[in-house]
Amino acid sequence: MANSFFTLLIFTPLLWMGLLAGVYFTRIKLSEQHLSNALRFYSLYMVTLALGLAVLTFLHRPSFLLIDFADWFAVGDYQFKLRFIVDLLGATYALLATALVGVIFRFSRNYLHREAGYFRFVFLLSTLLFGLIVVSFSRSIDLLFIGWELVGTTSVLLISYFYDKSQPVVHATKAIISYRLCDMGILAGAAWAHHYLHTTDFVIIPTLLDHGHGGAGLVFIGLFITWASLAKAGQLPMCSWLPAAMEGPTPSSAIFYGALSVHLGPFLLLRFYDYFAHFPVLLVLVGLIGGLSAVYATLVGRTRSDAKTMLAYATISQVGLIYIEIALGFTGFALFHMVTHASLRTYQFLRSSSLIQDFYENPVVEHNRTIHRRFSFERFFSPAVRQRVYVHALHGFHLDYFTGRLIAGFLYPMRVYLQWEARWLEFDTRLLKLLLRKK
Amino acid sequence: MLQALIDSLRPKLPIQNPLHSFVHNNILQTFEHLDFHEAVGEAGKLYRARPYWETFRYTQLYADKKMTDADIFRAIDHYLGHYAPMPSLSLLGLSPKEYFYRLMFSELSFNDDETQPKVEDQSLWEHCQEKVQGETLVLSRSRTFLRGKDYWEKYYDESYAISLQPLAIRLISSYLDQGQSFWPNPFRAQGFWNFFLYDLEVQTPYAAGWLKTLTQKAATYRGQSSAQVIEAELRLTGLPESLWEDYLLEVLFDLKGWSGMVNKLETEPWQAPVKAPGIRLVDYLAALVLMDRAMDEFHAKAHSIDLSLLYGRLAPLELRSFQLALALYQVTLTFKLPPRWMRDHSAAQLLQMIDEVDVAEHRDRVRLWHEAYEHHFHREAIEALRGRQSAETSAGGRPYAQILFCIDDREESLRRHTEEVDDAVETFGVVGFFGIDMNFVSVKNKRPIAQCPPVITPSRIIHEVSVSDDHAFQRWNLLRGTSDLGLYYNTRTLFRGFLATLILGVASLIPMTIQVFFPRHNRVLRRNLRDLFGKEPETELEVLSTDPGVGYSYSEQAQIVTAVLRMCGTRDLSRLVVLLAHGSSSNNNPFRQAYGCGACGGNAGIPNSRAYAQMANDPFVRAEVEKLGYRIPDDTFFIGGFHDTCTDEILFLNHKDLPSTHREDFERLKTHLKEAAQRNAFERCQRFSSFDESTGVAGAIGHVRERAHDIAQPRPEYGHSSNALAIVGRRTLTRGLFMNRRSFLLSYDWSQDPDGSVLRQVVIGGIPVAVNINMDYYFSAVDNDNFGCGSKLPLNMTSLLGVMTGSQSDLRIGLARQMVEIHEPIRNLTVVEAPLARVKELFDGHARLRNLLYNHWMRLAVIDPETGKWWMFSQSDFQEISFDGPALKEFTSSLDLLKSHETSDFAEIHHGE
Repeated sequence: MANSFFTLLIFTPLLWMGLLAGVYFTRIKLSEQHLSNALRFYSLYMVTLALGLAVLTFLHRPSFLLIDFADWFAVGDYQFKLRFIVDLLGATYALLATALVGVIFRFSRNYLHREAGYFRFVFLLSTLLFGLIVVSFSRSIDLLFIGWELVGTTSVLLISYFYDKSQPVVHATKAIISYRLCDMGILAGAAWAHHYLHTTDFVIIPTLLDHGHGGAGLVFIGLFITWASLAKAGQLPMCSWLPAAMEGPTPSSAIFYGALSVHLGPFLLLRFYDYFAHFPVLLVLVGLIGGLSAVYATLVGRTRSDAKTMLAYATISQVGLIYIEIALGFTGFALFHMVTHASLRTYQFLRSSSLIQDFYENPVVEHNRTIHRRFSFERFFSPAVRQRVYVHALHGFHLDYFTGRLIAGFLYPMRVYLQWEARWLEFDTRLLKLLLRKK
Repeated sequence: MLQALIDSLRPKLPIQNPLHSFVHNNILQTFEHLDFHEAVGEAGKLYRARPYWETFRYTQLYADKKMTDADIFRAIDHYLGHYAPMPSLSLLGLSPKEYFYRLMFSELSFNDDETQPKVEDQSLWEHCQEKVQGETLVLSRSRTFLRGKDYWEKYYDESYAISLQPLAIRLISSYLDQGQSFWPNPFRAQGFWNFFLYDLEVQTPYAAGWLKTLTQKAATYRGQSSAQVIEAELRLTGLPESLWEDYLLEVLFDLKGWSGMVNKLETEPWQAPVKAPGIRLVDYLAALVLMDRAMDEFHAKAHSIDLSLLYGRLAPLELRSFQLALALYQVTLTFKLPPRWMRDHSAAQLLQMIDEVDVAEHRDRVRLWHEAYEHHFHREAIEALRGRQSAETSAGGRPYAQILFCIDDREESLRRHTEEVDDAVETFGVVGFFGIDMNFVSVKNKRPIAQCPPVITPSRIIHEVSVSDDHAFQRWNLLRGTSDLGLYYNTRTLFRGFLATLILGVASLIPMTIQVFFPRHNRVLRRNLRDLFGKEPETELEVLSTDPGVGYSYSEQAQIVTAVLRMCGTRDLSRLVVLLAHGSSSNNNPFRQAYGCGACGGNAGIPNSRAYAQMANDPFVRAEVEKLGYRIPDDTFFIGGFHDTCTDEILFLNHKDLPSTHREDFERLKTHLKEAAQRNAFERCQRFSSFDESTGVAGAIGHVRERAHDIAQPRPEYGHSSNALAIVGRRTLTRGLFMNRRSFLLSYDWSQDPDGSVLRQVVIGGIPVAVNINMDYYFSAVDNDNFGCGSKLPLNMTSLLGVMTGSQSDLRIGLARQMVEIHEPIRNLTVVEAPLARVKELFDGHARLRNLLYNHWMRLAVIDPETGKWWMFSQSDFQEISFDGPALKEFTSSLDLLKSHETSDFAEIHHGE
């Protein structure tokens, strides 16, 4: 039964996206109301499937299901296998994804009413859901990458939902650059794994390692994968794009940066956990990154005075903690933390428009009296230090400056090269002109 | 000197309050001393906004027959009556009328594009070319570069919004923050300027690009005051002092919302939601100027440009011979001129003509369209009222119930439906704070809330006190407040956030699911939960007091009671008098205050109607009333009521004290009001495209309630959208007239007001409010991105003061797109039924009204009941109106009209027959 549940769960979104694309390309007029009614059934159907699958997986734990479809294509010795793993991790994440996307679909029905981009929004969210399901159940890096990319692309396109304004587009560009930089990690990790282990299968790799395969070189797979997880999770040093990404409609910010997209970072690590367990040094690294990011984000976040950026930093800091939990080996707990955190943040994002009135109506908040915040650790600093730290935190500890320097460093050879190319081109044209004139 | 300069900038800045106390204002209230068109033109330049709708909207309306050629010609006449046509008009050989008419339908565009046009008439094209061979013309709408911004943005792909503003916004929003961030800004004591300098000092080692220039500049100013820095920088620009004001305004208007807020919090610190930080406009301005200058210097250096050549230089819109020829070609075709018309004119003459046509194209064309459109609607409205003043009060004798509504345009429909449902009810419109200028303190919240129009400073504090045991309630209330606040901060920090997430995370799925999927149940659940833990106690208002500043004495109460009754001109009080205040419930809506009762400062009017009823029922007060020469019959009972304009629920506040003799009447009234409210909901639903019409009247009430409680609903109601009229007069003038919720209705009976003092109260109390609302909607509708707030979807609450778009932006002003999308921007037409001389005297004698009227921020028509003549205020005086319009369509009830999908704004409702 789980088998058929799973098949439906992964193919229905494809079918659904195909339908939407069909509607778009045939220019059939689909009224907003019909679309949202269809969405209602669709999300209910998906949640039911995901719930069923999660329950079945839970009942049969710790064993899990491996599902193989035919190979997609083969090149030489390599086959792109459509192989999936249905375990508690994947099933839980898929359930979370379908449930929250369902909530967001319902929310957007009214929120994006009369909006010209409603269809686009729905299509992108549907793509997100499909991407998430693929990521949840993929058995290899190769396959996971497809879902990973879909999530990244939809995220960028939704940041630039208001693409007629410049700021959303600039911030979407920032996001896509961060994503691409880290996506290289996945590709590099996959290439490395293929090279040394001839597979990227999450189930096979740990068993290979158990049997003493490979060597010190294998630690690089983990390094690449850790790197790959950073952009989506908004961990250091890839965290300045996330607060800037709050440009789309509120529900899309909620679902991506409060809930589903940010937790893909820790999800990837959890997927790889059996591998990571063989390399304590990697776990230490993951823990360090998480810890640093958590402290960084909470310091920066507490100086932020707008609802969404503040939530973004709060999210980064909790995800940092999840990294630490993973590093310490509390994988089950980390999964729980992910689920509970995603739910809370989605709710907070969706309700963020109430803030001003909530404060104003709060009987504890009085006029002309500064709101008393509870004791917190910045008070240990002397006033002078506190002010200095505050300013640094306000500017995100100049992270953009440092990454800018770093990128400039990387780009320097490129610039030199381009200069030479330009000179060569100039020379070339002159030569050509000379030759032509002679004729 | 600089201080004076800065003070002269203040009136130009946006005047919006922090959102928690949003009130509708004419956002250009400080420009009211100018003629409307001049003011919007000037403000349009400052705000970089369009002062009227897009032209295609008007041409669309013309195509839809929403205005006619007659309206257009009248607009042109009106214009010509005041302004001379352009000097070089004779060149074209057209009469001014023809010229403007053709201009309005033209598609001229003179610009410095290089694109090759599609030329159909080759010989004309050649002729044009040869006429202006070798000529150039700098159009007079070219702007002057006061600073580099426009230049960098145009030629170097720089964007201030991306590079410069984030720093400014980050600093100012952190400094002004009222408690949204966990870590309060530690620089409050030192002032913004020192914060700014310190910030740059700390940033110095990490600064690159223009920021580096800024930190270097700032380092040279250490120890100097902000005013000195502004002056030094202004001198450095080399701009003449006459241009300083323009320069500073341009800089301030880059971040107009924040600038306005800084000014607001400095000049009116009590408007702060929690506590105003010590902020001075001069500090903030110095920071902006320094940043702006640093950016200029940085770019100048990077691109080797001499700034002194740039400043004060014209940003030329230059037409060269090719474009000039194209302009001539366009002119010839647009104005349908004979092919050889320009033969005898010199090139210089032609150039002047082109420039003048260009000016008219940009300034006058839309203006004429707008005037024509407004005129059409105003005509329609006046025609609809014609012949109604003769109608006599329908039912003689004493009605069994009277209802005092707010003057709000949203109550127009409810009044109409009430009268249709129950013929024997008389309705009135009075300003909905019922003359009670109080600060109200409820049992729920210790914060005093001003329950009166924003122009009035509340004179009293009135407390709500519990009469039953409220121990449990207060404890629950306090606990809820503390936990809300605690949860807000502690879910966002690291360790506490961790614990809170673990405990509350999954649990938050429950309220989220309920709120998203079952909005209507959410409210019921919430109420039940509250009742379970701490039921709201029975309360009373402490209206009576002799302490200064607290409560009113008997005689003061009597004055309030009498004033309101006199204002609405009741001849004969009925046994039941209902004071129907209003407010609006909505969820997750940052603009909630904009939907409330404008006369109660955007709050719900419950305390006011309650207090009024309490006063008027008090026998001691009644005795005092009698001393004032007004008699309230002994069997009259006042009931405080409340109408929720979003859910269309009607609430009665003190019906428990009702004598048993009145029970039966009250039950009748209650049922009828309920029925009327349902019909009202149905009428409102016509504007909501998500309403399923097949569900009928019963479905409508469900639909509007769902809207109100849905956290995902950006349009809980459409508020004052489509408001355009204010009618001051007896109800006989408007009873039975369908007005499509477009009119404020102010009750006034001229025959009971021998000295005009009541008219004064009514007009001064109501009309400025109506104009404010009208203008707020006007500007947000004509250019929502620049005068308004833009789309609601990406809004981001900030500093507890207002909203930004996306992750960071200017503090937005005005109303959101979703609130005004169906609004038609038309200036308010006020119709007053009173002797002309009295109205004239009133408007001439009141500073703001005089400005509004003589500078055309509103229109005024007067029905003189003594002479039976109708007057309309035209350019500077009243002119008699003549009528020629067709009779109105007739319907048996508003419901019939709605079901027949009638689109006109006015219709006659004849019921009963």
